[in-house]
Amino acid sequence: MRVAATLVTAAALFVTAAPAANAYQPVEVVHTEQVKAGPYSIVVGFSTWPVRAMQSLDFTFDPDGGVAGKSGTLVVTPLSQPDQAWDEPLARHPRKREVWGLDVRSLPDPGDYRLQFVVDGPQGHGDGELPRLHVLDQPGPPMALSWSISALPALGLGAFLVVAWRRTRRRLVEVPA
Amino acid sequence: MTTASATTATAPNTRGLTAAVVLLAGALCTLVGLTWDVQWHSDVGPDTFFTLPHLFLYAGSAISGFASLAAVLVTTAARRAGKEVDPTLGGVPVGVFGRVFTAPLGYLVAGCGAASFLLYGLWDQWWHGLYGFDAVIDSPPHIGLLLSVAVTLVGTVIVFAAARDQLWGRVGVFTSLAALAAFTTVIALAFASVPARTVIAVHVAMAFLVVLCAFTGAAAVRKGGIGVALGLVVVQALTWVFTPWATRAYANAAGLPIRDYITGVPAMPALLPMCLILVTALVYPLTTIRAKWMPPVAGAVSAAVVAGLQSVQNAIVYDVHVPTLGRLLPTVAVAAAVGLLAGHLGWRFGHMLRLSSTARPEGA
Repeated sequence: MRVAATLVTAAALFVTAAPAANAYQPVEVVHTEQVKAGPYSIVVGFSTWPVRAMQSLDFTFDPDGGVAGKSGTLVVTPLSQPDQAWDEPLARHPRKREVWGLDVRSLPDPGDYRLQFVVDGPQGHGDGELPRLHVLDQPGPPMALSWSISALPALGLGAFLVVAWRRTRRRLVEVPA
Repeated sequence: MTTASATTATAPNTRGLTAAVVLLAGALCTLVGLTWDVQWHSDVGPDTFFTLPHLFLYAGSAISGFASLAAVLVTTAARRAGKEVDPTLGGVPVGVFGRVFTAPLGYLVAGCGAASFLLYGLWDQWWHGLYGFDAVIDSPPHIGLLLSVAVTLVGTVIVFAAARDQLWGRVGVFTSLAALAAFTTVIALAFASVPARTVIAVHVAMAFLVVLCAFTGAAAVRKGGIGVALGLVVVQALTWVFTPWATRAYANAAGLPIRDYITGVPAMPALLPMCLILVTALVYPLTTIRAKWMPPVAGAVSAAVVAGLQSVQNAIVYDVHVPTLGRLLPTVAVAAAVGLLAGHLGWRFGHMLRLSSTARPEGA
């Protein structure tokens, strides 16, 4: 009986919480840049402008004629650290499926980034880039302070273990293996 | 150190079992929520505070918190009524706020973790308000949340260790240490920002923490290291099956699409070191040697193998190249060095756990 009640409750939560999951913010583009990748024109959209380090936003990549029948790769290169570049396939934005995009994504460090697009489609292959996306300093407190705050439970646990260690030093017993 | 007799068989006693199980259930609920939430962000994406994985995360901590609070209030009432407090029910009693409250040690620690989780949850909300909902697991508030759960689980381990004369107590020690090991693999991601040019810091940290948990179990209960590793296998197997299923089912229920180009790999279960069961079984004969050098040496061997094989595991799971031995050696060497400490500390913590109930003859 209790198991049945638990299952019913879980199912009810599942059904009632699911609609809440639909209440997601739409993607609102507030700034755009134009990129020419071979035969394809791509409108690069940003949901926040200017872009700040660590502050997430939606990026949209809208090729002319839509994304149907096209595929491609995005390469993101921090210009100050080119060896930290990464690439990923151009995927449809989860909340704006008619375009490619990155949802609630942030760039880790301030500085300039290059966004390169490699696109294949009905009109052939195309390469293009947004040569310089300037990312401002992160908002909020310095990371050292934030990490110090987040380490407090570990420090508390460490202090507890030290006290326990000292108080049990003379009473420890061996365990038979 | 003195040698004690083996644990004697006692009649089954389920006093304290219900509160301990509720406490552990809360932590496991949080573990389910975490693995589900990680997969949700990886495979689906859109996020609000009111998602089902978040509900599991926060409800789990609330369950653990209320279980701890109830245990403290019941113990306090018993003490005030002049009754003798049984230290096998959650650990040695501790006076709190000048003895206004009397708290079993395990529940006190677990409750502090749950309270800390609440505070870090508030900070996480503020953080997302400032930085947005970028789903990075290794943000400072997230690591604070995970550390809080780890504190709750340390308390849970103490609660079960206090009842380790009972079978349910020993099983609880294995289970809670396995859950703690699972959480620590995610906490190790805090080192993801350390450039992995020579040493893979995440794998080193993961090896240290997992070996610490396994050796704590090994010293607390006979064959406890293998028990913890077995528990981790169960956690990995269950979450491996549950996580992708739950993610897809919830996405379907919410009418949300699955992302393009997902790997299909359950992200958090794939983090858990699959080799730990093998490692604990292999070093078990070593742990039967009564020598001061044993825990650090066995810990070093274990951590070196765990850290080395983690890259191999990633290569197999994600279908990428296995790093060369030369590439792995620096990571293995550093893991062995920190493994010395993990083995030593874990062994000591395990012995300390045996004293969590001071009513035992050997702990008196």
